[in-house]
Amino acid sequence: MTIKVSRRVFGAGIVATGLVGTSGTSFAQGTPRRGGTLVATWGGGEPQACYVPAGGGSSPTFSSSKLFERLALRRMDGKFEGVLAESWKPSADFKSYTVKIRRGVKFHDGKDMTVDDVVYSVTDIWKKYAVASALTDFAGIEAPDADTVVFKYNNPTPEFFFASTLCSPVAYIVPKHVYAGSDPVTNPANNAPIATGPWKFKEWVRGSHFEYVKNENYWKKDEPYLDRLIIRYVRDPAGRAAAMEAGDIHIGVFNPVAPPDIKRLTATGKFVATPKGYEEAVWSTTLECNMRNPVFAKREVRQAIFNAVNRDFIAKTVYYGYARPGTSPIYSPNKEFFTADTFKTPFDPKKAAALLDAAGFPKKADGKRFTLNLLSAGWFQENGKVGAYVKQALEDVGIGINLTVPDRPSSIKRIYTDYDFDLAISNQANPSEPVPSTTQYFTTDGILKGVPFRNASGYSNPDVDKLVASIKVETDPAKRKALVFEFQKIITQEAPLLPLVELESITLASTKVQNHSNDPNFLAASWGDLWLAS
Amino acid sequence: MAGELASPTPALRGSARRTAALRLLRRRLIQAVPLMLGVVVINFCLIQMAPGSFLELMTAENQVSDPATVALLRKTYGLEDPVWMQLLKYIWALLHFDFGFSYRQNMPVIQAIWIHLPATILLMVSSITLAVSVGVAAGVVASMKVRTFWDSLVSVGAMFFYAAPSFWLGIMLIVLFSVKLGWLPVGGMMKIGGSGGALDILHHLILPTLALGLFYAAIYTRVMRSSMLEVAQADFVRTARAKGLSRNKVTIHHVLRNALLPVVTILGVQMGTVLAGSVVIESVFSWPGVGSLLFDSVSSRNYPVVLGIMVLGSLVVIAANIAVDLIYMWLDPRIEIR
Repeated sequence: MTIKVSRRVFGAGIVATGLVGTSGTSFAQGTPRRGGTLVATWGGGEPQACYVPAGGGSSPTFSSSKLFERLALRRMDGKFEGVLAESWKPSADFKSYTVKIRRGVKFHDGKDMTVDDVVYSVTDIWKKYAVASALTDFAGIEAPDADTVVFKYNNPTPEFFFASTLCSPVAYIVPKHVYAGSDPVTNPANNAPIATGPWKFKEWVRGSHFEYVKNENYWKKDEPYLDRLIIRYVRDPAGRAAAMEAGDIHIGVFNPVAPPDIKRLTATGKFVATPKGYEEAVWSTTLECNMRNPVFAKREVRQAIFNAVNRDFIAKTVYYGYARPGTSPIYSPNKEFFTADTFKTPFDPKKAAALLDAAGFPKKADGKRFTLNLLSAGWFQENGKVGAYVKQALEDVGIGINLTVPDRPSSIKRIYTDYDFDLAISNQANPSEPVPSTTQYFTTDGILKGVPFRNASGYSNPDVDKLVASIKVETDPAKRKALVFEFQKIITQEAPLLPLVELESITLASTKVQNHSNDPNFLAASWGDLWLAS
Repeated sequence: MAGELASPTPALRGSARRTAALRLLRRRLIQAVPLMLGVVVINFCLIQMAPGSFLELMTAENQVSDPATVALLRKTYGLEDPVWMQLLKYIWALLHFDFGFSYRQNMPVIQAIWIHLPATILLMVSSITLAVSVGVAAGVVASMKVRTFWDSLVSVGAMFFYAAPSFWLGIMLIVLFSVKLGWLPVGGMMKIGGSGGALDILHHLILPTLALGLFYAAIYTRVMRSSMLEVAQADFVRTARAKGLSRNKVTIHHVLRNALLPVVTILGVQMGTVLAGSVVIESVFSWPGVGSLLFDSVSSRNYPVVLGIMVLGSLVVIAANIAVDLIYMWLDPRIEIR
């Protein structure tokens, strides 16, 4: 998971009530109207390439997901649905999955999509770049006939895990005839992709926009409803707000404008704002302890750190209500695996002080027990504010804090390469499947020096490793769920890293835009079913 | 590097002026070599001192965890060499007009810059043109109507545009002319999907030019006003008046021409700051220029592009100052620049 956007949109005030009126709306009325041009933007910058085989963060995911397609997607109701796959079923031992591939799908250059493209994509793109961490048990893929591919694994693989891999936002089927024999990372087609999706690449005016046009040969005969899709990049949130107000941009995803502008624009009746469409990419702000510092050897010290911090205050003050206190490494919108039955570290400074005393860290003459270096990752503006609050909260219980807020490259280097922190405020965005996106922050094999958004705390617990290994191969859904619940209980008690708050992302759209926010990862959806009311 | 002025000498004429100009050009070009070298070395060292590298960010974004792949990338981008060797290689490449490769854009640096350069040049030229024309005209009016309502109006206006942050001014212009009045586009360089004709670009150019140019116009107004008032007291102006020349003739041919010298000096010095200012304005107006590229490149530690833009920026400033020196000679033939 990489992070490459600024959440500066949370910089000024609005209360959550500004959104309440829209939270239950379906954003789709009547019969779809054909034609028109939809202009969209998002709360971040322009991508480095239209398509980045390894993902490359939210920006290239946004631009590429309108062109490329995955084998499957997850619907709002939590069920999986085939896209380029028509169906899949496991073998009796769950060590292989037979996937029926959709026939009659053509790439934008007119060539047929075949099982060869699927095999190439899985072996040369997924395994090497896009979803490598989810394919550690992958043993190979075969194409026994023109309609079928068989994924093989070294160990039993749960159905939910397999389907989630197919749905991964960048697990695209790419054209073998374009990528084979080249370095996929530097292939020029990354800047003008040829894919199978509802939109065809037309133009990239760097520094300005992408222009996509309707794929007339799209396999879903009714889609796309629109003729053209423009993705515009406006660096400044105030500029985005003005462009939306002037009617130049119809829809903005992932916090496109500042909270006061959300309130102002929705008050006109011409726009709606919704937190829907982010259920499979819930963001959090986390606090992690560097276990290499002997101070954190006792878990009571780590628990005390979290007891000293008022998460509700952070949610209401720093994020203006667009957040809720985090209680578990699995986030509360996760209907499959979240449990509230975990070890609690509520805001209780007295308990924090008592735990620290008991752990052998009484206050010294200067009023401090010990001093820590707190690094607040500077890729999100709010992280600095959270850092300022955490510093005060910890100083209140006698922990001295040296706070730094380095910029993005420096933060990545200091947290994930140099491990140059005692406490770090960082961020995660996790889907429902906890392996490996969530678990890799806690397992020993997640400690990979220089690889960001993995286990930087250095936490290593054989019991957790064993438990995660069990989750990975448990094919009985009920038993698997119980194991994930157990995982949450252990981690919340061990507290090497916990979410301070779960963030709410916002989509702002003109009331003309229909069918939006209808996917649990709307930013990465194809948008073939969007249409504009007259 | 606007030149030092020698004592006024009798005016050079004809071929003597051309020879002097060529001598000046040759001297300035020779001086530019060590200057450019200094710019490259200092910028290279400053960038090396910044924490975090483009390789770390690239491996982070691409989730590269394999040490062999990281080692290969280090070799590919020449990062396994000591810093002094990297610097020497960079200078050697520059001498062959090779600005390096941008991993982020997946293309040569010069190509990445070239894509964005026309938009920035257009914005800079239009802003400077606006700044000089408005600044000079307003300064002349204020000096001719000194201590009147018009003088006060020009002074207050200049103070306002000098004090107003350009990003704020840009947003206010958008709110007024794009959102409220609907006269001008919010941003971009041309209508998306449109023909991109001259009128379309001009339509999109108005607001960013105003936002960037009015700040500099305010400076030129103040400088021009005081310079006009100062020159108006000079002996040669008094002589011109005594000869019976009309007020307008004295103002235009004697006062204005000589009063322009400080404006020309500032213009040369400010070429670099106009480029810097375009970073902000391009962000506000989504103007697809070098400023946006520089902003992205700094935040992604895309050093080859940052260095490339700095080298080209320095070249622009040096060229502008040489032009200023030549304009000096044209404006005041008595001046021989050392």
